[in-house]
Amino acid sequence: MLQFILSGLAIGSVYGLIGMALAISFYVTRVINFAQGQIMMVAIMITATISSAGYSPWIAVILGLLSSCIVAVLSYVIAVKPILAFNRFSFGWLVSTLGFAVMLENAAAYLWGPTSRPFPAILNGYSIHIANAVLTGQQVLAIAVAIVFAAAFELVRKRTLYGKLGVAVATDPDMASAIGGNTTVVAIAAFAISGLFAGVAGILIGPSTFANPYLGSTYGISGFIAMMIGGGTEKPLSAMFGGLLLGVLANGANALIDSQASDWFPFLVLVIILIVTPRGLFSSGGFSFPRLMRRAR
Amino acid sequence: MTKSPFNRRLLTVVLLVVYVMATWLAANASLSIQSLVLVAGVFGILAISLDLVAGMLGLYSLGQGGFFGIGSYVTAIAVADLNVSPFLLLPVVIVVSGLCGVIIGAMSLRVSGLYFAITTFIFTLVLTVMATDMQITGGTQGLLGPAFPDFPTGLAWLGAPVAWCILLALLAAAALVWNIRRSPLYPVLLSIRDAEPFAEAAGVRTSAIKIGIFGLSAAMAGTAGWLFSFLGVVSPGQFDWSVSLNVLVMVLVGGINTTLGPLVGAAFVSMFPAVVDINPWLEEVLYGALSILAITVFPEGVVGLIRRQFGKTVQSPVISEDAGAVAPSAVPPTRATDMAGGDIAVECRGIEFSYAVGPKVLRDVNVVVRRGHIHGLIGPNGSGKSTLANVIAGRLRPVAGAIFVKGQQVNGVSPSGRARLGLRRTFQAAQLVRELTTSQNVSVGLYTKIPGIVRRAAIWPLLPSGQRDLGWMTTQAVAALQSVGATNWTERRIGDVPHGVEQLTQLASVCVAAPDIIILDEPATGLSSGEVDHLARILSQLKAQGVTMIIIEHQTRFLLPLCDRVTVLNAGEVVLTATADEVRAHPIVRQVYLGE
Amino acid sequence: MSPLSNPALEISALSAGYGRFDVIRDVALRVGKGEAVALLGPNGAGKTTVLRAIMSLIKNRRGSIRIGDTDVSDFPPHRVASGYAAIAPEGRRLFTELTVEDNLVLGAFHLRHEKARVAALLASVYELFPVLLNYRQRRSSFLSGGEQQMVAIGRMLMSDPEILLLDEPSIALSPVAVGIVVKALLELRRRGASLLLVEQRVDIATQVCDRLYIMTHGEIVEEMTPDDIRRQGFDIINKYLG
Repeated sequence: MLQFILSGLAIGSVYGLIGMALAISFYVTRVINFAQGQIMMVAIMITATISSAGYSPWIAVILGLLSSCIVAVLSYVIAVKPILAFNRFSFGWLVSTLGFAVMLENAAAYLWGPTSRPFPAILNGYSIHIANAVLTGQQVLAIAVAIVFAAAFELVRKRTLYGKLGVAVATDPDMASAIGGNTTVVAIAAFAISGLFAGVAGILIGPSTFANPYLGSTYGISGFIAMMIGGGTEKPLSAMFGGLLLGVLANGANALIDSQASDWFPFLVLVIILIVTPRGLFSSGGFSFPRLMRRAR
Repeated sequence: MTKSPFNRRLLTVVLLVVYVMATWLAANASLSIQSLVLVAGVFGILAISLDLVAGMLGLYSLGQGGFFGIGSYVTAIAVADLNVSPFLLLPVVIVVSGLCGVIIGAMSLRVSGLYFAITTFIFTLVLTVMATDMQITGGTQGLLGPAFPDFPTGLAWLGAPVAWCILLALLAAAALVWNIRRSPLYPVLLSIRDAEPFAEAAGVRTSAIKIGIFGLSAAMAGTAGWLFSFLGVVSPGQFDWSVSLNVLVMVLVGGINTTLGPLVGAAFVSMFPAVVDINPWLEEVLYGALSILAITVFPEGVVGLIRRQFGKTVQSPVISEDAGAVAPSAVPPTRATDMAGGDIAVECRGIEFSYAVGPKVLRDVNVVVRRGHIHGLIGPNGSGKSTLANVIAGRLRPVAGAIFVKGQQVNGVSPSGRARLGLRRTFQAAQLVRELTTSQNVSVGLYTKIPGIVRRAAIWPLLPSGQRDLGWMTTQAVAALQSVGATNWTERRIGDVPHGVEQLTQLASVCVAAPDIIILDEPATGLSSGEVDHLARILSQLKAQGVTMIIIEHQTRFLLPLCDRVTVLNAGEVVLTATADEVRAHPIVRQVYLGE
Repeated sequence: MSPLSNPALEISALSAGYGRFDVIRDVALRVGKGEAVALLGPNGAGKTTVLRAIMSLIKNRRGSIRIGDTDVSDFPPHRVASGYAAIAPEGRRLFTELTVEDNLVLGAFHLRHEKARVAALLASVYELFPVLLNYRQRRSSFLSGGEQQMVAIGRMLMSDPEILLLDEPSIALSPVAVGIVVKALLELRRRGASLLLVEQRVDIATQVCDRLYIMTHGEIVEEMTPDDIRRQGFDIINKYLG
């Protein structure tokens, strides 16, 4: 019981980080960056390549994170900004961000080949006993890093002037530029941060998945489910809670139903949650029956 | 458009013959070419099914791949396990996928367009996972689809029967959407897409239509899946989210909301791998890059681009400066006066309104509008006039109080329901479809007057009654535009007309339905002084016909002489309801309007 | 030296619009240093469009806009907002998720490296609207309409601009709140601010401003003083404002 909750929290923090990455870019631009999973994959591939070339894994990790930030900013410049400039309310970004994802995935498969490559173990070799449960050092690291990043994000958003400017751009971009905010710079910053979150998720998961160009869609979709369950479209932090819940539920389904259950169980949860409370569990409105009834009328 | 109906019919026949001959060629072509054409044909149907909802209703479905999968799997499983004839399965597939569409639409469309896209995306994900994990679907390996029955030996010269089936189905799908585009439902659909409040105010049940059309689109995608199952193996990879994405790419690259665009896009996307012969990964990279490029550089797609390059350049008609001099022709049709409710047309009792946060916008508002009166509603900006109009028309629900229209309590009645009661309205900021002409916009106002407009849309141009009704609607719409003084603008698109003409178009779309009660929200905004005088004359004529009007207006010089009664609102409260002269003399009115 | 010889804002030949039609055409107006000018006109005349064009919030615009000694015609909005012009828009448009003080401090975004100046500006806003001191940490969406308008005006003042643009500050306010806003505008005038006020209510415009422009159909059709309006009374109102 404790074992699957803890390891669920560990994988859930990775989903949560990807979910937050999706939510952060959505928060500022109202665009879901469907290439987010592939951006995570880029961090994994770069880290694996640099460390297998003989450099220290820590240098590899830093360069991997840097590359995912850069690719995320590129996705904004190439696939998002031109669309929003044409029409802020069109859905062209569905095509362009998914197109960007296709490009990243296949370019990676072409450059590195479709097979898995080794990834530095980081803390995967250590194990830690908590009561009757065993976690790897990497799993503990995942939970700790997720908490630190989520908290740091909220702190920056709520307590710094730049964070508040981000909130301003999210609520009313026109007015934010009329008080002196450069909305393009804010959007680029948001995408860079989202790339960092996705990259961190990749570094955390890499030691157990190894480096494979096709990792992107699986984890991208899990992150998307985390965001939708949590209600990250309204508040990025909610995506982290959604991710943790998703991780525990998927692990629980594996342990209690059958070993395939984690393939479909998250979708079942998502569908039920979206039917009951379309804005997600942890959104500002939250779960409220009266609101539901009002919508039903 | 000088082609005579005969020429047009001849052209249609020639095109049909060419299409049938091309089908015969394809049915007898080599297997590789045949499969290329047939896959493109199936995707063409899928693209058309998406264009139906995305182009005409603005609903970007990412679920087409899912419905496509339902069609394929139902067919493959039923033929293999139950050994039924594939033709018996077609209606089953249509009903099942259509129902799925209706359920998903009903679940998600209440929230928003983005939410709809997300829900359909999740639907596709769920189906892919189910197809991969379940025993009956054969897992990642998939199932072998059924073989298509052969032609009887005498007809063998026709070639492969499956080719005929797919290409004729493609023709039918294209014809269906073409028919809808030429039916009076088309302007209604676009008005739901671009100006939903306007459509509702014309009596259109917008959610029901959205859900219904999405169901139709899902059924078409299911049919495409049924056809696809005859082309070989059915496996999960053929229906995952990337297929839904590809269908969207087809529609957007080819040109959204055009007849040919989805077909051009489908041909491009499905033949791309066969034409570009390079490393498969590089080919995918190129494909991704091209779709980004297409959507950013040509947001209107190939067909849209061609249309822009070679489209006819229309000349701006001379704005008739003496619009006021045009004698308004007898304002629209005769109406059977409905005397329900006796002397009182609209009554508001104790209306209170506030948004979720913030102070009360309306406080204990009581207004009685008598039948046949012009009732003015004035007050400074933000005093709650438009809010009151929205409460009466049903767009906003009051927190407390009751509204009566013709004696009937209408608190629970939707805006479209109130429109069908004979209550029509205009909007402060004109809500119209920019890419349609003024007369097409006006014809939306006739929605409730045409029986079975939705049912008949699919075969409209083929119906003799369809041609007749279309003609009648156009005449009515043009007459209504003439009567409001927009004679010169009847064939211009709303995107190309000045603001004043938009206002007149709104008014015409309301008048054309011959309503009992009209709410006009700042009708004189943006009109020149000549047009304002003309408007005053039209309103007097409507009054002479017994129409009750509630008019919100700032231009008191225009409004007050027309009014039987005037209600003054300030900060959400009724200051007084009285005759125009009494209102002019009132101290608050003098202060606000005169600075005294 | 008359205020007009050294204007805070000078616009000439300004045309702007959203689609293919210009909402405003060939607009010319001046606001002198320390002067208050009103823009009156019926709904849809293009008054708000003038203000949005000054803030560079409309892409499709032509003509010249000078603020002080600088030609800001080609500036992007965030540069115009950096000490040249600031706006209290129609409907307030506060950043509803943020507190009152956050809204105010964001108003001084371009002064973010000058802490002392921001503190002084903040103090002067609280001096103008002491009631806001009670709500510093309250989310701005929980304020009443009048208080929200005070925050919007305060946010505009925080960037310490050369010209203040106010779009219908009296809209949807109770008579008491309107009184407070008018008092604040008069106090700003006493402090020497230059302001361009878009109003629908003639009484407020005549009370606050030195000169009035009348706008209809996207053009400025008349320039007059409050005295002209008082002398000519209903006639002038009927002629232009209905």
